[in-house]
Amino acid sequence: MQELIRVSNLNYHYTDAPAVLHNINLLINEGEYIALIGPNGCGKTTLIRHFNALLQPSSGDVSICGLNTRSTKNILEIRRLVGMIFQNPDNQIVGMSVEEDVAFGPGNLGLPAQEMRRRVQAALEMTGLQGLEKRPPHTLSGGQKQLLALAGMLAMEPKMIALDEPTASLDPDGKNKVLSLLKDLNSRGIGIIHVTHNMEEAALADRVLVMEKGEIIADGSAANILSRVEWLKSLGLAPPRITELLWTLQQQGEVLAGNIFTVEAAAKEIGALLKRLRGFEHV
Amino acid sequence: MYDLGQYIPRQSLVHKLDPRVKIIAVIALSIIILQADQLGLLLAGISTLLLGLVVLAQLPPKYVLQALKPALPFFLCLFLVYLLFTPGRTLLLFPLGPLLISYEGLMLGIVQIWKFLLLLVAAALLTMTTTASELTGGLQRLLRPVKIFGISSHDIAMMLGLALRFIPTLQNEMRNVRDAQLARGAKFNPGRPGGKVKALGFLAVPLLLNIIRRSDELVDAMEARGYQPGRRSYLYNPALTRTDYVIITLIIILTMLAVFLPAG
Repeated sequence: MQELIRVSNLNYHYTDAPAVLHNINLLINEGEYIALIGPNGCGKTTLIRHFNALLQPSSGDVSICGLNTRSTKNILEIRRLVGMIFQNPDNQIVGMSVEEDVAFGPGNLGLPAQEMRRRVQAALEMTGLQGLEKRPPHTLSGGQKQLLALAGMLAMEPKMIALDEPTASLDPDGKNKVLSLLKDLNSRGIGIIHVTHNMEEAALADRVLVMEKGEIIADGSAANILSRVEWLKSLGLAPPRITELLWTLQQQGEVLAGNIFTVEAAAKEIGALLKRLRGFEHV
Repeated sequence: MYDLGQYIPRQSLVHKLDPRVKIIAVIALSIIILQADQLGLLLAGISTLLLGLVVLAQLPPKYVLQALKPALPFFLCLFLVYLLFTPGRTLLLFPLGPLLISYEGLMLGIVQIWKFLLLLVAAALLTMTTTASELTGGLQRLLRPVKIFGISSHDIAMMLGLALRFIPTLQNEMRNVRDAQLARGAKFNPGRPGGKVKALGFLAVPLLLNIIRRSDELVDAMEARGYQPGRRSYLYNPALTRTDYVIITLIIILTMLAVFLPAG
């Protein structure tokens, strides 16, 4: 796999304030699906803002595809490579119509109109917004607005999209659409970094990074990290409810697998348990 | 209330005209209207022209009239000032003070109001037949020459576009702030003008803070999408047709005639 983001000895502090990020070292490859979790104020947002040069390290280096974010001549290419989606979709929309908003990024790249139109069409199709080209963005639903923000990123043809709590202000339907789009984009080879408070959402990722007080304190597979129920709770993070339920049953002495994050997997596990119990009755 | 003068989609000739032509036409018309000194004939001509354009653009007259409504109090004040403070032949004498209604005042008042009405109709015609993005795009291409002063027409168009884009958002926000304050027992008394002004103050501060917070986030989102001031490309780049050039030339000639003939 190709290396995409390399963070070495990254420290960051706002002027005259204690450090927000301490000595972070991180390697992210192309096409990874990563969830970044941690309590409020742990520096998640500050970290991902380094990935597309919205912030510059106080010391240390961040490079994207070998391009250092400190060099101003790299900035446009870095921002094309790593897209960023913010929490509030309303404040990310620039255009007066859906298609114009999607064309904003390509316009910044100075692409010719024909290429812009091709990319706008492709991005709208990927996000399922085709047919809404001429709609004023403020008439869209919250979920559609977030999909529009994603379409605007996709039109830049990025290698990775970092999302800062993209579902926080959405209704369940909008949330599901955004999450399934992330999965779909990842299967097309686009990397995802998803900052979230919701462990069910984090469970969709392949790799989970946990931050606390400006440091990465754990980095591993979703199965490995999210099954540490007690530890997650001690950090002030809520593990998926379903994981917690099975974990509690396990604590009570039931023989159950510990790394279960979805309702489907839990149903299977509990079904198997019930079957075993019924087997005992028959004996 | 933002839908006053809002774009009304139709398949008319006026709608299809290049936005640059329409902007030039409105500017030219404004010059002619403001230059016309009590020339009833000229004003009648322009009125007919505008009326014809409203019909050609298939705009419902009701909407055009609605666009004029917010200006009515202003018109009334202006009319009263002209009516009461223009010296001339007395038509009606007030028993109190130096106020009197003169013939000249009455005529001047009518002509001035008429001029303002025409300006408003011309502006409404422009905004009702041109989408906001066509408008900013047209302006961007018209303003290209300001480059020589070191100003980028792309930046001006971007600013204007963002302002227009955020009008509905801010209206929404204003409603929210208002509701939040009503819920906490604020009284917006529309009866007394003093109360209204005070209430506006209570709305303005939280609204302003919200705008600043919003613009912070907007700047981040724009930068994240690679925005840099200056040159950029656009989805639509229509070229001016021969018809457009003919119309622009005609407009310029007519404006010259209207401005210089009466003086000469």
